[in-house]
Formats: sequence, structure tokens, C-alpha cells
Amino acid sequence: MSEMLQTVPIELTVNGRRRALNVAVHHTLLDVLRDDLELTGTKECCLVGECGACTVSLDGRIVDSCLVLAVEADRAQVTTVEGLAVDGHVSPLQQAFLDKGAVQCGFCIPGQLVAAHALLAERPHPTVPEIQEGLAGNLCRCACYQQIISAVLATAEGTAR
Amino acid sequence: MHTFAYARPATLAEAVALLEAHGPAARLLAGGTDLVIRLRDGTARPAVVIDVKQIAELRPAIREENGRLVISAGTVMTDVASDDRVRRSFPALAEAAAVVGSVQIRNRATLVGNVCNASPAADTAPPLLVSGATVVAEGPGGTRRIPVDGFFVRSGVTTLARGELVTAIELPLPARKLGAVHMRRTRRRGHDLASVTLCCAVDEAGVTRLAYGSVGPRPILMIDESGVLADPAGSDEAKAPIFERMFADASPSPRSMRASPEYRLAMLRVLGARALRTAIDRLARG
Amino acid sequence: MRTDRIGGSPNRVGGIGRVTGSQQYVADIRLQDVLEVKLVTLDCARARIISIDTSAAELVPGVRLVMTAAHLPQPVPRFGPQFSDRPIIAVGETKYHGEPVAAVAAETRDAAEEAARLVRVEYEELPAVFTIAAALDPASPLVQDPSLRAGDPLAGTNVLREHRFGWGDVEVAASSADLVVENAYTFPMVTHFAIEPHAFMAAPDGDGIAIWSSIQHPNWLQKIISQILGLPLAKVRVFAPDPGGGFGGKQHTKLEPLVAFMALRTGRPVRLILTLEETFQAVRRTSAEVRVRTGFMSDGTLAFQDVQANYLIGAYADIADRVVSKGSYPAAGPYRVPAVRIVSRSVLSHTTPATAFRGFGNPQVNWAVESNMDEGARALAIDRLEIRLRNLARKGEAFIPVDTPADGDWEQTVRRAAELIGWGTPLQPGRGRGLALGIKSGPTTGLSYATVRLLADGSVIVYAGTSDMGQGARTVFAQIAATELGAPLDWITVVMGDTAVVPYDQQTSASRSTVLMGNAILRACQSIQAQLRTMAARLHGLDEADIVVEGGAVRLPDRELPIIDVLKPGLGRLGGELVGNGEMRKEAEPGHPLGGSAAFYEFNCTAVEAEVDEETGDVTLVRHVTVSDVGKALNPLQVTMQDEGAAIMGLGHTLMEHYIYDERGRIRNLGAIDYRIPTSMDLPLEMLSAMVENADGPGPYGSKGMSEGALLCVAPAVAAAVRDATGVAIRDLPLTPERVWRALRDRSTP
Repeated sequence: MSEMLQTVPIELTVNGRRRALNVAVHHTLLDVLRDDLELTGTKECCLVGECGACTVSLDGRIVDSCLVLAVEADRAQVTTVEGLAVDGHVSPLQQAFLDKGAVQCGFCIPGQLVAAHALLAERPHPTVPEIQEGLAGNLCRCACYQQIISAVLATAEGTAR
Repeated sequence: MHTFAYARPATLAEAVALLEAHGPAARLLAGGTDLVIRLRDGTARPAVVIDVKQIAELRPAIREENGRLVISAGTVMTDVASDDRVRRSFPALAEAAAVVGSVQIRNRATLVGNVCNASPAADTAPPLLVSGATVVAEGPGGTRRIPVDGFFVRSGVTTLARGELVTAIELPLPARKLGAVHMRRTRRRGHDLASVTLCCAVDEAGVTRLAYGSVGPRPILMIDESGVLADPAGSDEAKAPIFERMFADASPSPRSMRASPEYRLAMLRVLGARALRTAIDRLARG
Repeated sequence: MRTDRIGGSPNRVGGIGRVTGSQQYVADIRLQDVLEVKLVTLDCARARIISIDTSAAELVPGVRLVMTAAHLPQPVPRFGPQFSDRPIIAVGETKYHGEPVAAVAAETRDAAEEAARLVRVEYEELPAVFTIAAALDPASPLVQDPSLRAGDPLAGTNVLREHRFGWGDVEVAASSADLVVENAYTFPMVTHFAIEPHAFMAAPDGDGIAIWSSIQHPNWLQKIISQILGLPLAKVRVFAPDPGGGFGGKQHTKLEPLVAFMALRTGRPVRLILTLEETFQAVRRTSAEVRVRTGFMSDGTLAFQDVQANYLIGAYADIADRVVSKGSYPAAGPYRVPAVRIVSRSVLSHTTPATAFRGFGNPQVNWAVESNMDEGARALAIDRLEIRLRNLARKGEAFIPVDTPADGDWEQTVRRAAELIGWGTPLQPGRGRGLALGIKSGPTTGLSYATVRLLADGSVIVYAGTSDMGQGARTVFAQIAATELGAPLDWITVVMGDTAVVPYDQQTSASRSTVLMGNAILRACQSIQAQLRTMAARLHGLDEADIVVEGGAVRLPDRELPIIDVLKPGLGRLGGELVGNGEMRKEAEPGHPLGGSAAFYEFNCTAVEAEVDEETGDVTLVRHVTVSDVGKALNPLQVTMQDEGAAIMGLGHTLMEHYIYDERGRIRNLGAIDYRIPTSMDLPLEMLSAMVENADGPGPYGSKGMSEGALLCVAPAVAAAVRDATGVAIRDLPLTPERVWRALRDRSTP
């Protein structure tokens, strides 16, 4: 496609469900998830790729969805926080976040969870510095970092419920 | 965000044609971690955005070819940082790629994009300079190879000609054993833009290459062939004047809010000395 | 012990929604036919608005309204929690960078943004003041129109208010003190940076209006909207979904009146979601310059404290003057000081309106006074822990005359922190330790109502007007109900954030909710318990006096019944429910300098061990200890989360956060790229938190308010550790590597 377009039909798989829609080329994946697909679990904050509130997994890798044009996600597999629960039950990581007190206001948590899931997929037994580095792109102003790290460790150790 | 026309060429030739047709009104989109911010804040208002990710020749790939490591334009920082060949032969480049932004950013941002932005603070620029990297550009006149030291002009400006785009970075595999390291200064330990970014490499022949950025309009490469810097037993007094010559071209902007020129210049010297020590150690340890 | 009762740490109530993404914050609520609002601002701080041309903007397809001051009732209504000084939209003049001069409502965000760019404002930039020195210069322009300050003797200055507190005679004390230490300290402008940017919606609602806001004080907002629109309270319905972080920045009304007028004018729902950059321009902490003169006797006993604190507030007062008075009032700290003089001023400027921010004015003076304590100890060669213990008020001691006496055994807290940091044990070279105490007055007045319904099956609904912005109020409230009424936690619903449904609560601030709303809920539960006693007496032919309802059970003289076994037969065939109401009131005290005494004190001791890289100025926190006196931890995990979170937030203003203004009053580091806050990589290498529990607080089960304490004295503790490691005293925050490096360089080049 080298013709020039302002709206583009795209097809993507979000949390296992195929979606086809027309997107404005200047709309981001974040815009489309929240406004078109009404998946509002992914949050909007800084819009410059610093806070990580909009983190989603794109073809198996986490990205700041505020910096990805929706059209770039054409034919991609996207996982958002809404896709983390398994068969209607929260995942061990989600449960660990609750058990360890990793959730205060909750606004950053969808991004933290998507990032932590990806981290554990890549490194099933991360060290504390690896967790800190892996989640440094997700700001938590409640500063629940200690508890988030505990939750990731507990999940890795299989000691989470 | 301002709207624009979007094109997703499938071949290099199409991309070159689009670039030639639209000139400065077109912007290339690779990882988008810089461009999308600028599209949103209005500092970039292209009429056309050309997404290069579907171009077969630019697909993510790192390959060895004729004594060179070739990193394609679609290769993201995460893959540069974790690639065994990069880590083995260009450890400082792997270190630099590993500190560009967060995981989320490194999963999108490309090495070539980092180079093409020509930010004086680009962390990958010093190791590329030290490694003698070459930028491979494709344009209306065919393929051109530009030494990275002749590529950067100032922030956002390179020596690319109209219609040219970068398809890859080539790094000559080192013929000699060397020790290299990348170091930087930031305002916090979490991801941040560098107020000094520096790479030092020492090889077994006693040549020291030092490149640094964020202290002037473009990153700078300096080479010491005297063997004085590389000498593990050399005194600080003997090395100091050479360092001073190497840093003479640093001219940090007084306008920056990230650090004062005074601090940057002082840290350039601190990092230079530390990086040299580490590079010498690494060379010794093999 | 059951984890869902008091003292347990059950999973957060509302936690499932927060980990699955189903929790709806204001920006997640989709109203039908909603119009998107974008603000129009000018590229400077202060300007005279000459004209506003909206014609091009109105031509953008989808634009429904371009609102300016001309569309509003004249004179344009003004509002504010303390002074009615803030107009709904700029009138004639902007007073800070980011103040809206117009607002566009359009069918889409794109259209609103495009139209906002097309609004042509002709303006003349005017001289402005951005610093305390400039604001206090008599030659400088006035921020506020003196006509807004009729009868105010300070109306011709930029000092909004001057507060004087104290006791004893400082000058007499100074003449006999063995040592006087005088220093000046500065505290930077920092911003809340809640990850949820402020969000506002409004919609016509029958003959009234509905407002959605990420606000901490829905009832206060309801009152302001009611006054501005001339509607009865009952016709203003405020929905306040749980905020995504507040920290004080979401306490008071901001842009809700603007969206209300836009909704009424268009007859449509409208919504305004701020960008993070716009939140920087909307809220910040008061910066401060504090001069402290401290007198000591040679044995370390404090002779006097003489504190002059100038706080730079913004262009409109918001609640900032209260921040100044209440924050500076306990400036002399938790110590026995025979003579104290505190003079604090709120100084207006053409900057972002300052407002409440976790710690409420205390961290600014605490930074100065605790740092000066260290200076005194060093000059007298007395251990820095010892000098504090020597002066620390004992429990029951009226350390601030005519206020609440010391309400905790604070020495326990200090000693615990000292023990955890290893005070007095040998240090590695290049390292140092620092320790500081923090105190903050809890709420001085308050009013909370709660309703609790015990439903026919024994499940419970609690109605509480507190905002759960992360502190975990829902969980603690449910734990109180679980403890009193016996229902398991998952049988309890806590309803908040809807003024049409939930009874009045004055505000969620000053760490009050556990104590004030907690007591109201406890009383509502007790009212239900009394009704259960009456039921049980009737059912079992007993005297009410012989029946006790406690711990979720009904105790008869000869046996104990689960509540449900009394409730079911008691309610009878028709079923129904028992309803209890509770009220907790803390009345104002006329004549008290703050209008009321402290309901409790938040008391904290922070101790750190730091390593300084003398070449770069990098400060590494090797260990950070924070210990708070919480009375009783109703939920120990939440106490830990609050304390550790507050401690890390405190590291932000201590080590890296500050606004950088340009010469035109624009924030240069506007946004997340150049305003740095701590990430997961910026934590101390080790963080230890602990709590002291003596059940001596005024809240349920002996609890006290908490969650601000651990932030209060982070800065002086860290700076003291840096001084201990390097010998250099730094009196300006944040302690950026460059600032530390400079101080070290200046030390070595005399």
C-alpha cells in the first residue's frame, strides 16, 4: 500500500478476538482501544511514552500504545489488561498484586500488569534489579513499587495463590 | 494530533519515490517513539508519513556480511541489546541500546531511527562512532555508504540527501582485541535522557577511541593513537592533557534545563576517566 | 484471626476492578452524545486579553460551542474554597500560564483540538512575578485586583495573608541561649503528577445538573456548583468515581463550573480530560523560603524557635493559604520549646495555583527546622538522635500550648527508627546517616455522616462520602462493618461518590477518613447493634441490658447467636432491613489559631543511610527507614503501602522534582519527559517501614490518621545523611546530582 490515505481499514486481534475497523491514520492504538473498541482498561496519562499507563502487548512485546499509530497495529496481536484473566479468573499475577498490596489508586496497574506479564514470560525467575528495570517504564505515583516487586517475585516463585 | 496522509510502501523503490516526491513534507515512521510525540505536540507537521516497516529490505535483521555486522533499519533496540554478536563484538553498543528509554520504548525504537534523529544526546551514537560504523543510505542515485562520523550535522539534521533513507548500519567486526564501555549521566536512575553520553574503547595496539554526546550540537569522536591513554600503568598526570585535547570540542548548550554546561563538562571528564579504566580492565580480562 | 476483620489485611475492596481494568475512572465513563472540550490558553503567564475571535474555530465541522467569558453571567462568577477569587474562565487578563481564555466543545476530540488552535486571541503580555523576591518587591505588579480584597490591609501587596503563631518571648530566650543557629532553606515547586489526569464531565439532568469529577471533595463541589448556578443542592448531583490518585491535587473545584456552563449552554453532556501537561498548569505544591533561627542551651535543650516562612502560592488562592497557616503552625516540631515565633506568609504570584499536597505545608518548614536541629547538634557535639530525644514531647505534654497534647509515646517511634537504621553503628567510608522527625496536625474540624444498611440476609451496604483515591478507605470501612456486624468482607458493599445517594462528608483530606468517617460508620453500626438488642430482647423475652452485640454476634446471658439468627426472625415474614446512621463531628473552636485543635497528630521518624559519589554528586540511599505512630493499624498492609508510598514520593521532592520556569512564567519542564519522578529503579537499596501501635488514637479501635507522615521529613533525613557522608550542608532542594556536586566543589575550593 503506497497510496496515501487518511483513514485505513485495519484488522487486528485484541485479547484473542478479531476486530476489523476503519481508523484515522493519526489516531493511536491507545485511541482506538479506548474510544473505538471501548477497552478502557488501558489508561491515558503522559502521551509521550514516559509513564507506561497505556502499556499493551503488541505481537508479544510491550509497547506504549500512545506512541503506536493504530494503523501500525494492522494484522497485529494485541493484549490489554482485559485479556489477562483466564476463564474469568484473575491470573496468578493479578492475584499476587492484590495479595501483596501492589494496588493503591489502580490507575497505573493495567500497564504494570501487562508489563509484568511480559517480563515473567521472558524471565520466569527475575531478580529484583531485573524487575525494577523491566517495570521502570511504568510510573506509579502512589509509589507502590516495593509491593509490585513483591507481587512479581511471589508469582515467579509460585507462592502466589 | 494533526492529520496527515499515510503511506506504507512495500518496497524500497516506492519509499524512495515517495521521499523524492514530497521532500521535507514527508517524514519516515519506523518505531515512532520520537515521531509520534512530535506529531502530537505539533513540532513535526508532515503532510505525509511514510511507514517503512513493511519494506522487505528493512525488516528486523542482524547479519554478518563480509567482516561486517549489518543491522537493518527495522531492528529495534531490544534486539540490538540482546543480540549475541552485538554483545560479543560491540558490547558498548549493546550497553547503550539497553539504556535507551524503557522496555516499552526499546521494543519500538530502532537503532537507525536513533541515528537518523541525530539527537546530540543519542546514546547509541558514541558506540557507533567508536566502532567506525557506516550508515547505508538508499536514494534516487542508488546506494551510498556514509561513515557515521560524517552523518551527524546537528539535532535533527544529517547529511542525507533528498530522497534518501537509511536502510542499515554496518559495523566492521574488530580486527583487534578491544575493551569497550558505554557510560552516561542522567537525572535519575530510571530511564532518562542523558546529560552526558560517552563511549570508550581501547584496543590491544594501544589505540583509544573516545566518543561523546549531549555536550554540543553533535556527538564527537576522538582518537588517541599515542598509546598513553591505553597504558594501564600510565599516570593520571600523563593522561590528563590528552583527555583535555579530546574534550576541547565539547560545547554544551547553556539553554538546556537538564544540566548546566559546567556540570556536563565536569562529568565528561569524570566519565571519560571512568570509562577508560573500565575499557582497559575489560581489554585485560579479554 | 479472620483477615477481613480489623487488624487483618484482606485484599483491597475494589481491587478486582483495578487489576482487571474494569474499574471506571471518570475518563472511562462514556455518556451518550457527549461533546469533547478543549481549552484555549496563551503562550505566556500574564496577559491582557484584547480580543477573542472565535469565528474560524466555529467553522470547524463538529464544533458546537466556543465559550469565552462573554458567554457567562456578568460579572463572571468567582469561586474558591477560601477566597472567591478564581473566575470560571479568564476575565480580561490571564494570571498564569495555562489559564483558559476560551473552551471549545465539539463532537470529537480532533475537532475540539483543531478548533482550539483556530481561536484567535489578541493579547498584550504584561509584566509578572514568578518568585518570592519579585512578588514582595513593592515595585512589582499586583497579582490580584485589590477590589477583590476589599477591606484587606494587605490588598495593595502580593501578600495574601500573614500568619503569626507562637508563645513565650523569643528575644528574651535568645539573650540567654548558649547557641543560636540561623539558616535559610528553600523548598521547590513540585506537582502531584497523579497518573490519572484530572477529568470533568457535566450534563443537564432534568431541572438540575449532573457533574462527574475526579475530585476528592464531592460535597464541597456540589456546594460551589449550587452557588454558582443558583440551584438547590438537591438539583446538583455530583458523581465522584474513585480518583486515580489525588494527593491533595484533586481536593477542590477547578474546571467543573466551566464544563457545567458548557453543558447547560449546549444542552449536551460535555467532558474535559486534562492532559498531563495541563495538570502541571493546574496544581502544584507551594514552594517556600524558610528562615529559621534556633536557640539551644549547651546541653542541647531547645531555647527557642524563630521561623519565618514565605510560601509562594499561585495566581489564585485555592486552599493554599490554609496550607500556609496550617502547615507552618506546628513548625517548631514535636519538641518542648519554651519560646516560639512563627511568621508565615502566603505570597501570590503569576504561577500555577498552588493547592493542598500530601503533607499540607508541613514538609516545607519541617525541612528547615529539622535541618537546623542537626546544625545545632553538630555545633554542640551532641548526638543528633540524642538531641531530639532530649527535647521530644512526652505523651500528654502540651507541646503546643492550647492545642491537643502529644497523643503518642513518640519516643518509641524514634527509637524504633534508630534501631532499624543501626544508629551509632560503624559506617563504611563515603556513607552517612541522617534522621529526622515529622509532625503534622490532623483535621481541625470535620463532619462525616455514614449510613449502614444491614440487609435481610445479613449482608451490608455502607454509604460513605469519602473518596477512595488509593488510600484504601473502602477496605477499612468494610473491615469496620465486618467486625461490628459479622458479615464477611465479600458480603459488604461500600457505596461512595454520588451525592444523590451517599450522605454528606465534608472532605477527604488531612488523613481524616479512618478517624472521622470511620467513627461515623462505627456509630452507624452501633445503632444497628442497638436495634438488634431490641430485637433479641423481644424475641427471647429478655431485658435489653442483658444482651451484648459484639464481634458480629448477639450474646444472650446463656448463649451466643450469630446476628443472622436474630435478624431473620426479628425482621419477620416481610423481611426488610435495619438502617443505622452515624455522625462524627469535630466542631470549630473559636479563638483557636487554626479554628480548631488537632484531632490527632501524624508522627513519623525517618532515618536513612546514604552513599555519596563525590565525583558526580550522585546520592544512593543504602537504607531508608520510616516509622509512624498509627495508634492502631486497622489494616497493616495498607499502612505499609501508604507509608512506603509516601516515603518514596518524598524522595521525589528530595532528590529530583522541581518546576523550572522560564522568564515568561512558562514551565519549561512541562510534562513527563523533563519533570522526573521516582521510578522503580530509583528506590532505596533497602526500605524498611514499621508502625507503632498503642491504640491511643481517637479513631475506631484506637486508630489515628496516617499516610502523610512518612513524607514529612524525608528531605531533612536525606540531607543530613549527605552532610554526614561529605561534611557539606545543602539547604536547597532537590538534591540533584548537580547540586550536590556543586556543593562538594565549593567545599573543596575555598
